[in-house]
Amino acid sequence: MLSLSADITESDVNLQMINGDETAASGDIAHGTALMKFAEAVACRDESVLASARSTLLQEAGAQVLVDAAAVAANFQRMVRIADSTGIPLDERSAALADSTIKELDLTRFDSARNTPPGGFKRKLMRLIARPMAIRMFRKLS
Amino acid sequence: MPDFQYDNSPYPIRHGLAAAYQAYWQALARPGTWFSGEERVAIAAEVRNAVNCPLCVERKLALSPNSVKGEHLSDSLLTPTAVDAVHRVITDQSRITQAFVDETAAQGLSEEQYVELVGIAVTVLSIDEFNRALGLPLEPLPEPEAGEPTRYRPALAERGTGFISMLPADGAVGEEADLWKLDRTGNVLRALTLVPNAMREWMGVGDEQYLSMQGMGHFSDFADRALNRMQIELVAGRVSSYNECFY
Repeated sequence: MLSLSADITESDVNLQMINGDETAASGDIAHGTALMKFAEAVACRDESVLASARSTLLQEAGAQVLVDAAAVAANFQRMVRIADSTGIPLDERSAALADSTIKELDLTRFDSARNTPPGGFKRKLMRLIARPMAIRMFRKLS
Repeated sequence: MPDFQYDNSPYPIRHGLAAAYQAYWQALARPGTWFSGEERVAIAAEVRNAVNCPLCVERKLALSPNSVKGEHLSDSLLTPTAVDAVHRVITDQSRITQAFVDETAAQGLSEEQYVELVGIAVTVLSIDEFNRALGLPLEPLPEPEAGEPTRYRPALAERGTGFISMLPADGAVGEEADLWKLDRTGNVLRALTLVPNAMREWMGVGDEQYLSMQGMGHFSDFADRALNRMQIELVAGRVSSYNECFY
């Protein structure tokens, strides 16, 4: 969704911000480094790392950003567990939209990738059609 | 006093967040679909045990979770199978397999109970994680209410996606008509629909923590959020990646 958001808003985003180190933080995301560190600190459950990341984000971006970042991080602590506990595959349409991101971030290395069968010709065809269509549609909506 | 007051919070907590958490806590305490109120609150308590469980730490580090035997940190009225399921969902979810879900069923935790258990575990975790992320104390669990579970199973639920039965994309009809419009859904929305209230309950929290279904279609700024969409997706992606979530 980050990749799609960047394309829709014609923004410069380094996708390695998802799983790279802080040197990946660049482009048009305000407070990118502080948000990366805070999100990872919530997920890794090291309370001293979290306290430091929270303090940095608060000082840099303010309390409202901190609260909303905490809410989003908490939400995805839930969503990953719904997906993995039920073994759902990535929807075909989402897989087509995310195909290049999956390759760029090497997401198939995760155990839970086994729940999504590799795509065939249909997904390749959808990838060519679905992403440009989605970008046009969401630009109009936004 | 109502739950989730946040009066002593050093940060301004959006009213919608507190209201969603309050509504969930009330639902948690009531008899559910396959569990009593007492059992539902016990599942919530087990979420808090799981994050401090030494056996779970050892299993997480092992090549196979099944290679490590022992007892979970637990003082629960739940069966050992249910306790193990909660701990696996919270601490090692990416290695849950069809075989694990089938084994829990063979040990007496029905498919429907597994789905309700997952729904409670993940929703309680997400509320606790919000407080923990902000350095706030966890909310005391609610007092369970008496009563019988409804034991409602949607007629259209079927096998075919993932490890458990769920509604098909065109299955939001009749009693489930509120779940989504037409067939505009996704596997993650369908995932817990074997127990429709499990989906309704996590969606109520998710709409405030992340975005509503309507909000998902917007990629610019939001009037009621301090983060823009790219910032939201950066946090979402980073947390998901750390959890090794392919979905």
